[in-house]
Amino acid sequence: MPTALLGLAHHLPASQRVGSAQRPIFRDPGGPSDLAVPAARQAVREAGLTPEQVEFVIFATMTPDVTFPGAACYFQDKFGLGTVGALDVRGQCAGFLMGLMIADDYLRAGIYGTVLLAAGEVHSAGLDYSEAGEPVARLYGDGAAVTLLGARPDSGLEAVVCHSDGRHYQRFWIEYPSSRQHPLRVTVDDLREGKHFPRIDREHVERFGVERLPEVVREALRAAGASAEQIDCFILSHVLPEVVERSAAALAIPPARWIAAGARHGHLTAAALPVALSEARTAGRIGTGARVCLAACGAGYAWGAAVLTV
Amino acid sequence: MRNAHITGVGRYVPPKLVTNRDLTACMDTSDEWIQQRTGIQQRYYSEDSVGAADMGVLAAREALERAGVRADQVDCIIFATLSPDVDMPSSACLLQAQLNIGGVPAFDVRNQCSGFLYSLATANAFIKAGRFARVLVVGGEVHSTGIDLTTRGRDVAVIFGDGAAAALVEPVDDPRKGILTTHLHAEGKYAEKLWLECAAARERPRLTEAMVAGAAPRVFPRMEGRYVFKHAVQRFTEVINEALAAAGCTAADLDLLIPHQANLRISQLVALGFDLPEEKVLNNIQRYGNTTAASIGLALYEAIETGRVRDGSLLCLAAFGAGFTWASLLIRW
Repeated sequence: MPTALLGLAHHLPASQRVGSAQRPIFRDPGGPSDLAVPAARQAVREAGLTPEQVEFVIFATMTPDVTFPGAACYFQDKFGLGTVGALDVRGQCAGFLMGLMIADDYLRAGIYGTVLLAAGEVHSAGLDYSEAGEPVARLYGDGAAVTLLGARPDSGLEAVVCHSDGRHYQRFWIEYPSSRQHPLRVTVDDLREGKHFPRIDREHVERFGVERLPEVVREALRAAGASAEQIDCFILSHVLPEVVERSAAALAIPPARWIAAGARHGHLTAAALPVALSEARTAGRIGTGARVCLAACGAGYAWGAAVLTV
Repeated sequence: MRNAHITGVGRYVPPKLVTNRDLTACMDTSDEWIQQRTGIQQRYYSEDSVGAADMGVLAAREALERAGVRADQVDCIIFATLSPDVDMPSSACLLQAQLNIGGVPAFDVRNQCSGFLYSLATANAFIKAGRFARVLVVGGEVHSTGIDLTTRGRDVAVIFGDGAAAALVEPVDDPRKGILTTHLHAEGKYAEKLWLECAAARERPRLTEAMVAGAAPRVFPRMEGRYVFKHAVQRFTEVINEALAAAGCTAADLDLLIPHQANLRISQLVALGFDLPEEKVLNNIQRYGNTTAASIGLALYEAIETGRVRDGSLLCLAAFGAGFTWASLLIRW
């Protein structure tokens, strides 16, 4: 039986002005685990299950509540999941897809019957909101989405493919804290130089994204045995909006059939795809039984795509 | 559905040996105090500019060589660490670049002391589901740049050491062999009994000069030792029992127990509870300290090297640590 999204929901904090943009910014004290809890409640309810029936948790984030333990542990406690396993995955912009790939195999191998996959980011805690930092800061928002995955007899996940290429990791990275720096992995000097903020080589990141995003969409379609015309909606995610536009154009998808995940909220990294999917469902743009293709490319580099029926 | 099996193990131990006596130069402690509470006699620290992935890649190359597999045959990289080379992206990506195998998925697992077992369990799921044929699991830690090596931080600092280990996981045709069962647990209620707070995305901002260099820095690990000790003994015991029950075995069937090397006293108490003689429990924390995600791999490597794991041996790998998280795997070699 294929893996299916038995429930899906998202949670976004209130919108704030960041430079010329409006972004969901989590002002209250709290981390991604706090954003994920209301989404989880709704996702589990939609699946017609209770938290006690969740057998395993996976949390994808690059902005954990604390350095360790991971957001999965905090979330697992806040959502009242007893002592079920809680896996923390770091896959940056492909984090949700990597989590989906992992969950799919735990389910298909029969190890677990239900997996709660959460993805959440609180980027606003780690951005440079000064004038110099604003061009990067305005790219990002905060948010979370949670999906309850289980087996469904008819239809569900048809394909999920993930890739990485670490050779260019310094083109899009946050350097500090950095365990390789002796004697201390982060110093006041590192902070004064702003090395704990994300840095992006826009030209390289754009070029890489424009090449890989359409490529991985085609790969996932091939793996699912689907043509682009058979997909009701494509959801594409990249930190740079122009990469999504150019990818959709390269794939010749008509505007009515693709969604830029970051269009309204900025880039939500691991949470970008499931938040956009959940919103599109809520808005009625994606109905039950629709065939959807999700794709993301970002830091690492890491990229991937999935084809599924919701 | 074929079982997954570990077909090659590698390790890397950094060159800088640090004895308990060496630590007395920077903090008020003693060899006797450290040994009595933890069993640790020495540990190794990495050199400047060497990160978790830099060590991990050396362990990975050895594991691949022992499995007779080329790097370009690897399908997926899972890197377990709590001390990544850089904040973002994952150390898995940095290791991937050094192995020169761009294209395969690479991600980090951040499950502290249970990270190696969470990663092996995930590799097991990939193999069983038929997605991948060769999964490289690496655990690597550079603790030495993230601990408070003064008297203020001594309770935690003396415990940790640097190191890396790797295991290649592949399908095995013999259904009696390989990873027989995996068990993963967590209890976030106790997250702050053993933790490293900052950088913390729940703070605004997540990292400040006061957190790094204030009177009470928040960038070093903190631990309620007694609390952790008590839970560790209980959860180690439970999760080993859970694995044995799932495989229809008893502790008497075990040829070797490889516990995460958290504290020699914990391992001894757990072994006592199962009535396991000394030769059936691998302890090497005396020489490496607690290397978190690398410890079980380092211990497995040693078990193979010294002939304590042989064809047909029944092994239990078990872990407990920050999260709290805990886990066990049963493997028929």
